[in-house]
Amino acid sequence: MKLELGRIKIHDVQFGPETKVEKGVLYVNKEEIEKLVLEDERLIGAQVELARPGESVRIAPVKDVLEPRVKVSGGGGIFPGMISKVKEVGSGRTHALVGAAVVTCGKIVGFQEGIIDMSGPAAAYTPFSATNNVCVVIEPQEGLETHDYEAAGRMAGLKVASYVGEAGRNVEPDEVVVYETKPLQEQIAQYPDLPKVGYIHMLQSQGLLHDTYYYGVDAKQFIPTFMYPTEIMDGAIISGNCVAPCDKVTTFHHLNNPVIEDLYKRHGKDLNFIGVILTNENVFLADKERSSDMVAKLAEFMGLDGVLITEEGYGNPDTDLMMNCKKVSQKGIDVVLITDEFPGRDGKSQSLADAVNEADALVSCGQGNLIIEFPPMEKIIGTLDYVETMIGGYEGSLRPDGSIEAELQIIIASTIANGYNRLAARGY
Amino acid sequence: MALLITNNDKAKKFCMDCRKEVEVIYLADGTYLDVLLRTRDYVHRGYRLLTHPLCGSVKPNQTPYRSVLLEKQSAREENFRSVELIENSIDAARKFMRNRGTPRWNERTREDFKTVDLSFLTVYEQRNYV
Repeated sequence: MKLELGRIKIHDVQFGPETKVEKGVLYVNKEEIEKLVLEDERLIGAQVELARPGESVRIAPVKDVLEPRVKVSGGGGIFPGMISKVKEVGSGRTHALVGAAVVTCGKIVGFQEGIIDMSGPAAAYTPFSATNNVCVVIEPQEGLETHDYEAAGRMAGLKVASYVGEAGRNVEPDEVVVYETKPLQEQIAQYPDLPKVGYIHMLQSQGLLHDTYYYGVDAKQFIPTFMYPTEIMDGAIISGNCVAPCDKVTTFHHLNNPVIEDLYKRHGKDLNFIGVILTNENVFLADKERSSDMVAKLAEFMGLDGVLITEEGYGNPDTDLMMNCKKVSQKGIDVVLITDEFPGRDGKSQSLADAVNEADALVSCGQGNLIIEFPPMEKIIGTLDYVETMIGGYEGSLRPDGSIEAELQIIIASTIANGYNRLAARGY
Repeated sequence: MALLITNNDKAKKFCMDCRKEVEVIYLADGTYLDVLLRTRDYVHRGYRLLTHPLCGSVKPNQTPYRSVLLEKQSAREENFRSVELIENSIDAARKFMRNRGTPRWNERTREDFKTVDLSFLTVYEQRNYV
């Protein structure tokens, strides 16, 4: 499967009478977006605001972040099973508005969600301080059930990202990157001397606010399967997860998965990237057993020499992570785990809630308990009403002048467990 | 027969109305940690865990509510993995509590936490296996 990803670089976002891209500037029609969102009867308010890198703006509480993309050719449409009809994606050509993002915000429940600062010291911890953001603040009908509101918020983000992405359809991209993965036997034969490496991609799938969707299907309802990496770049996986802001995998991160990106960069050089094994994270231990058995079986069947595994979330999913690690290792395959850590503020406690002897190689994406300072911002998109009840916030976090003291985990994607962040440890 | 240990009245009600027979131990004033400790008692009495003791990705010092499903097993079966999981989960919960206690949530947020905890259990009714 081969995908040409046309990257249209966006360096500014403005309101305009027509949604279009011109000379790297994204213009959006505010009224059309608001009308689109309000087609959903579950929502009674939709307000579009813009946030650009370097501005004195704080966005909170954030539900999801999405990169606007459009399927130009190759069959299927963006976000299949959610926005487009269910049809295989990942081939042909897709255009992405790189440097732009759609951010959905608004209260879903009395906890969760997080913060994006567009400038100041906290901005460095999130990739979305560097994107030109079209923020959609949504407001639900009074008394709407939590499940329905989550679904309405999720669909609003997908609709707006598809609508904005459409503006890139006929624009000549600044660069075109080609990604290709062949069927198994051909892929192995292409680089017979290089180690065969796979990526085990674990999706959070435990229940309300913990769900992820694969071609529209709730991930807790599928069994582990093989995916061509390019399917994911066309939105075959979308996020319905709003648990811990710091390690939430937003839809943006699914579209721009850094593990896939980096494996492709080394594909044919020092490794042979065979593809993705997609799996879930379950509540019942029997389901964890079954899924991890199938993951190990698939990894063996594909003849992999090594795998990278990423998880989403902390605690309960650590058990899925360790079961995958153990069983894949027992097949004689080398395993490297990628995750973030919660070892307590002094860093001395266990990083994860579960461990196995086979987990002997791990890349850390940082720890979320560090306390940081957020200076006041001139403009708030959304509301600061929930800061003290967000994950990472606490009583006294929000000061009267609008400044905040909170744990790093309050920031969207600050310790994201696939490495799309900037934290690193260096020795000098 | 499955055993539910919970401090969430929504989970208690769900299991009592469930078409499957579930014994319920409801710790009305219990904390998240109390649920885990009571679960450990039952694991040492020969029960095995059906569900993971930790609540999805919600940290143990965030949500006040927790529900765990267990099942009595025959004396011949070992349940070492259940012992290990509940001990690790208690360690993890205590680590978070040491860092910061669970906030005093308002009524509406408490209801949201109950709903999330319950949403992990609702698949149980449709399951024909454990």
